[in-house]
Amino acid sequence: MQYKLIFSALLSTLLLGACIGEDFLDDRVEPRLRLGIVPDTLAVGDEFQLVTRFTNNVGIEEEHLPIWSSSDEEVITVSTEGLATARDSGSATITGVISYEGIDYSVDKTIEVGDTTIILPDNPVRRGSIMPSSFYDLEGEFTLTKVDENLILSFGDDYVADRGLPGLYLYLTNNPRSTQGAMEVGMVRTFSGAHDITIPGDIELDQYSHLLYFCKPFNVKVGDGLIEE
Amino acid sequence: MKNIIKQLTTLAILCIPMMAIAGGGWPQPKGKAYIKLSEWWQISDQHYTSAGFIDPNVTLALYNTNIYAEYGITDRFTTTVYMPIFSRSVVNTLVSNTTKQVIEEGDAINSIGDAEISLKYGLTRPGSKFALAASIKLGLPTGVAAGGINNNLQTGDGEFNQQVQLDLGRSFQAGTASIYGNLYGAFNNRTNDFSDEVRTGLELGLGLVSEKIWLISRLDVLQSLQNGATAESITTSGIFANNAEFTTLGIEANYYFTPKVGVSANVTTPLSGKIILAGPSYSVGIFLDLSK
Repeated sequence: MQYKLIFSALLSTLLLGACIGEDFLDDRVEPRLRLGIVPDTLAVGDEFQLVTRFTNNVGIEEEHLPIWSSSDEEVITVSTEGLATARDSGSATITGVISYEGIDYSVDKTIEVGDTTIILPDNPVRRGSIMPSSFYDLEGEFTLTKVDENLILSFGDDYVADRGLPGLYLYLTNNPRSTQGAMEVGMVRTFSGAHDITIPGDIELDQYSHLLYFCKPFNVKVGDGLIEE
Repeated sequence: MKNIIKQLTTLAILCIPMMAIAGGGWPQPKGKAYIKLSEWWQISDQHYTSAGFIDPNVTLALYNTNIYAEYGITDRFTTTVYMPIFSRSVVNTLVSNTTKQVIEEGDAINSIGDAEISLKYGLTRPGSKFALAASIKLGLPTGVAAGGINNNLQTGDGEFNQQVQLDLGRSFQAGTASIYGNLYGAFNNRTNDFSDEVRTGLELGLGLVSEKIWLISRLDVLQSLQNGATAESITTSGIFANNAEFTTLGIEANYYFTPKVGVSANVTTPLSGKIILAGPSYSVGIFLDLSK
């Protein structure tokens, strides 16, 4: 009977140990505060609503109302809600500050006040290159542009992704270490050469900071690419 | 998450039958049998990439409770059955080390695993110096190929395969020790767009203390013929892993409590591989040897 007891004990131990455990991912990234579109020149008497976007220490967007200030309130004033009003000719630097985890994050922009309001178009093209973070093939240059309501992600001839990797997915993210809060673009279908990917959903061109390649079956990051400003 | 984690159990599913390749070139004598109940498991947080390097992954585990039986229909024909009567596939929960919040919930499924039945024929007479046997083995997709909340866990590969195999064995006495060696080569024809495989292996056994103790080492090699589908050629949204390869080394100890009853323990580790878990597997079992 001794061996039966030993075997039963082993089986029981294994079955009890077969619970779902937890793995911890080091997913901390530097928080970022970004300023939305701001006019280069604001006409005297005009108002403009300032908008910021803040991503926290894991790249998730959080609502934070900045504390606004102007370097010259005789030229531009900014309300607590971020409404900028041009008062007189000249120039002033507006600054927005938020406090997060005891650290201040700020954005600023110098605005001219003149006869007309001028909003220069944002850089219409962002670009970067993808590279592997693991032992899988992944490389290539890319551009990201906005056409109507879509983002167009274009890869060049130098693009290569690993054909043998099952379940390779592409994301747009503000945290290149994790898919949490990332936008899933879809399963990778093209593994070499120039091609375009249309990303619908009226996503802003500067909404995400990185492309992220993630293998779902292995639940592991394969590579990423910084989307440069 | 929609279509997630099912391939890293591939090694587990591929490796389990390796332990079932018992007997080598020696069929069971007519009316004799060997039955084994065992628990097999593999847990790993890393895997071999398609280039053969090791990368991390969220911890995956597979636990199988198996029954394996051989029976001698005649002195030359032996039938074997391998049945994972309980199979549990687990993927761990992924938690942010920064916020301690769950990034991806873990999951688990329980089912029976993929069964195998085979028929072996001794090409040489019982008692010959060399034992040569041919066998055909059918892999039945009785496990779950896509389970769990997101259909991403598996206890089977979902395909019916047919494997033909040749075993060549030789045994002899060296003093009080019994020694045997067995070589095998096999071709595994797989369906459902999976690549066919060539399997080869070498097994060496050493019997001590009047064959109360058997120490066994196994080297198994699986090579894909790369003639199936790849991630590139699959157009569905499902996840598909293929062309797994490995070389594994296993060490096993068997101890007979009585002339017919014993226990065994095995550890098998991959020496190299592609698209498989990069961690050792373990098994413990109790067997009834009615062949003596």
